[in-house]
Amino acid sequence: MKKTVLKDISLTVSILVLTFVFCLILREVFEIGEQVTAIFVFAVFLVSLLTDGYTYGLIASVLGTTAVNYAFTFPYFAINFTIHENIISAIVMITVAMLTCMLTAQIKKHEALKTETEKEHMRANLLRAVSHDLRTPLTTIYGSVTTLIDDESMLTEEQRSKMLVDIKNDSDWLIRMVENLLSVTKIDSGEVKIIKTPTALDELIDSVIVKFKKRYPTQPVTLDIPESLVMIPMDAILIEQVLVNILENAVRHAEGMTELRLKVFTLGKTAIFEIADNGCGIRNEILPKLFGGYFDTTPTPADSKKRNAGIGLSVCATIIKAHGGDIKAENAKEGGAVFRFTLATEEDIDEQQI
Amino acid sequence: MNNKYKILLVEDEPSISSLVSTVLGNAGYQVIHAESCSFAKTMFSSYVPDLVILDLGLPDEDGMVLLDFIRRDSLVPIIVLSARTDEKDKVMALDAGANDYVTKPFGSAELVARVRTSLRFNRRTNLEGCLPDGRFALRDLTIDYGARRVFLADEEIKFTQTEYNIVALLSEHLGKMMTYSAIIKTVWGDTAHETSIKKLQVNMANIRKKLGSRPGENNYIKNELGVGYRME
Repeated sequence: MKKTVLKDISLTVSILVLTFVFCLILREVFEIGEQVTAIFVFAVFLVSLLTDGYTYGLIASVLGTTAVNYAFTFPYFAINFTIHENIISAIVMITVAMLTCMLTAQIKKHEALKTETEKEHMRANLLRAVSHDLRTPLTTIYGSVTTLIDDESMLTEEQRSKMLVDIKNDSDWLIRMVENLLSVTKIDSGEVKIIKTPTALDELIDSVIVKFKKRYPTQPVTLDIPESLVMIPMDAILIEQVLVNILENAVRHAEGMTELRLKVFTLGKTAIFEIADNGCGIRNEILPKLFGGYFDTTPTPADSKKRNAGIGLSVCATIIKAHGGDIKAENAKEGGAVFRFTLATEEDIDEQQI
Repeated sequence: MNNKYKILLVEDEPSISSLVSTVLGNAGYQVIHAESCSFAKTMFSSYVPDLVILDLGLPDEDGMVLLDFIRRDSLVPIIVLSARTDEKDKVMALDAGANDYVTKPFGSAELVARVRTSLRFNRRTNLEGCLPDGRFALRDLTIDYGARRVFLADEEIKFTQTEYNIVALLSEHLGKMMTYSAIIKTVWGDTAHETSIKKLQVNMANIRKKLGSRPGENNYIKNELGVGYRME
């Protein structure tokens, strides 16, 4: 907040001083004096456009009028508002300042409204996707449990244990869904900035692999990470979630996958995370909207394994964006999907507002 | 005669407490249950449990109050139940004297394992203590505290002073999650800030390398992101 005030003040002062000097040069060297008012009007317009709120524009217009009156209109180097021309130029400048400020304020308001609507839209989409994604496992769990309670004697041992396994799998899914939702709300809940702490890359990867192994003990992950210690500022829990989501996404959706690779390398001040599989790849028509929305999976059969991947991946995108990084997905030439995201290995001193 | 371990469960959600009671009961523990902080205080004083499982979100008072109350004059192991997103709460509880935490939602196997580890750890320190001239052994890892030497399957590992201090500290608190600040305080006599945490992480990276650990296969020292380390 303080920074913008300082910026606005220095902007106003420098524009006015430059204009003043420019006009002085024009008059003293080239003996041109008629355009002074027009030039000052332009300066006032610039100030109103580039600064926040009405204050600076109005101050600039008052200062501008005074300057024009004092230095550039007859009588020179004296204030005299009794001459009609001077009064008119003063009114023009103040009007320009007011109008410009009003317009820019309106545009800013409009933009804020637009992002707000977009956010609303995202939220509505998320809600819709969530209720869909939550209902399916809940149906299975509820159905299985009521069956187990009511018709226990009618079930074979095999059926019973299959139901219990299904209940466990669906609960696992629900747990992860809730984790994802929590992360998104953590980021979405207004001005809460992500708190980045320097995290050792190998500790992060260790934690990810331990979690992943617990869920998918039969799926090996080939690792390729730097030998040396790499520290990356991040919210480790969120980035861990991104990696687990992408790895899990591969297990769920990359049909025919035999190899899952996780590679991390640094390029200058950027760490690049790459998750590649050699499965069926991503259908081209959903590739562009993979991270953005919660795309419809109706064309695919209602198989529980094919459940919407949208939430997990858009959570990834939200988290990476909030870290100031980039995330992309593509199909590799030799087959399979590649997910890639970047994180800065060094924090900028002038941290960006998120 | 009843020589089962007594566990005081402080939890206000009836469904969770009944589940935990069943699980621990089946694992051979005797569970007593309190639903509020004030009730738990009375129960603790009259039953003297061997272990406390504490949910931090209680209806009458913050679970941290109970934690402080118990730690005032008891070293009984305390396991905290917490939600995933509250790393700060975990660290706070651990620094206030909790031995471990279990993240909700948890599997029954995980809970029983944590309870078992905490009880074993507690017995260890009670019986053997952290004798400076004693020896420590965990699977292939042996530590000779007197000579300040560490062996992995009979082969000596050359640790630096600091690395040794960290390993020794973790081994003295076998099974306990040690927060960054707890380790830094003991090893460097420093308070935890970003540079000292980094120092710790650099040392840990070297220790892991020397112990032959690889990501996903940390055999002796487990790391919990944003919280700390545990030897197990």
